[in-house]
Amino acid sequence: MKYIILVFFIAFSIDLSAQQKQFIKDDNGKFIYYKVVDSQLLSKDTLVQRAKSFINLANKKTMVQQSITDSSVLAKGTIIVDKTVLVMGHPSGEVSYNFVFEARNGKYRFWLTDLLFIPYQRDRYGNFVASTKIGTPLERTPGKLSAGAWKDIVNSAYNKIEKFGDDFKKYLATKRVEKASKNTETISTKKW
Amino acid sequence: MKKLLTAIFAMASASCAMAQETTTSPLEISGSVDTYFKYDFAKNPKNITTSFASDHNSVSLGMIDIALKKKTGKASFVGELSFGPRGQTQSIPDAAAGGSSFHIQNLYVNYDFTDQFSMTAGYMGTFIGYEVISPVGNFNYSTSYLFTNGPFQNAGIKATYKFSDKVSLMAGVFNDWNVYSASRGVSAVGGQLMVAPVEGWTAYLNVLSGAGAGGYGTIEDLTTSYQITEKFKLGLNAANYDIDNDGGGYAGAALYPQYAVADGVTLGLRGEYFKYKDAGPVQGVKYTAVTFTANIKSGGLTFIPEVRLDHSGDKPFFNKSGAAAPNAGQFSLAAVYAF
Repeated sequence: MKYIILVFFIAFSIDLSAQQKQFIKDDNGKFIYYKVVDSQLLSKDTLVQRAKSFINLANKKTMVQQSITDSSVLAKGTIIVDKTVLVMGHPSGEVSYNFVFEARNGKYRFWLTDLLFIPYQRDRYGNFVASTKIGTPLERTPGKLSAGAWKDIVNSAYNKIEKFGDDFKKYLATKRVEKASKNTETISTKKW
Repeated sequence: MKKLLTAIFAMASASCAMAQETTTSPLEISGSVDTYFKYDFAKNPKNITTSFASDHNSVSLGMIDIALKKKTGKASFVGELSFGPRGQTQSIPDAAAGGSSFHIQNLYVNYDFTDQFSMTAGYMGTFIGYEVISPVGNFNYSTSYLFTNGPFQNAGIKATYKFSDKVSLMAGVFNDWNVYSASRGVSAVGGQLMVAPVEGWTAYLNVLSGAGAGGYGTIEDLTTSYQITEKFKLGLNAANYDIDNDGGGYAGAALYPQYAVADGVTLGLRGEYFKYKDAGPVQGVKYTAVTFTANIKSGGLTFIPEVRLDHSGDKPFFNKSGAAAPNAGQFSLAAVYAF
């Protein structure tokens, strides 16, 4: 019995912890996801090249590079927000963002802001497509009718952007070399 | 036709064999449930006979609709089934089968040969018109004369080429309208040109020629919508259908202005003019209809109160005493839950 209570207590604690994660606002009152990362072993040039590669190779379908200098990269992108129904779900919309990356020797920072939500609706063929071209700022105050749904969208957007941030940090920390082509292992049945 | 289909399948098979994509999306599940109350002002359920919401003074069922979609690499499928009056007896293929089963809304496979070119085969929601069977896809709960008289679905095979985000072209061969299997062979050709001239404005120019309702004929259709501001959207549907050999057809246009008055509350109007064409000695009837609708959304739930007023100088309607009347009106309140 006490194990069951313990499991419930841990689950409840994890849930509370998860709820505490949310966007903070920048000087302009907009939601921002902002990170400064120490990266002592990497030069500024390496960091910029890896950030560029992250945008143009690893995420070329969802990000578009806007500009690049010797110490910064600007890009635009979108993240799909999913609505989860038990283990299955469908996309409920997309969040567009502006991405800013700045590097110095040994450290870098990046942030995502100007977050706009565009809801999806199911079209006549059963596909989920954008219902409008005009996005709604994520930091808006929703009316009473849609407060619950909006909270879910903001939470889902935060989780997706947090994962994006983690992926970005991992990408920048990883040295990528072309893998040597490995011969496919074969088994001969002639000798045994 | 046989050679064309053979060539298409050969090309598809060759491309499938070459493709070794392994990217798999999770199985998507979505759908809707809807129910409604309708009150006809003349207490006659047969007054306004456009599709769905047919019962008078009754809390009645629409349908439960369940759609599955999965994409593996470049291949995907969609399977969508509906149960309930809207998805059974009031949807044409099932009505023909006695109305005791279910209705397939979509059942097709798709293959993306490239980012620009894809092919789709199976039974699909029609590419003609503004309104659809699913209540989630419509702003108004009642449906237009254009929708009721046009195709609901087409079985066939179609190819789509996307020139850019602003222009795409679709062409295909189809069975006759609204049938799971062809009763007159693969007997229709159709095409759709999509253009998006400015941000928020999309227009579809559609043509479908071949076996359809009432015989062989050709339907030309314009369906467009423009999100002019964050709050204001304007839609338009205009169509002309000519059936060969003086078999009639129809022509009409409907305008759909919608304005968001508050967060989650949008008011809309549908104004429609519709005319059946003369078929031999039978003169066609003309209709004008105005529908005032509100959409009140809270999460997945949408309440749809609606007042509809129809007029026809040919007096196809009935008044309270059962006499022919030029006007008909109804109020309805629907609840639609989308998941």
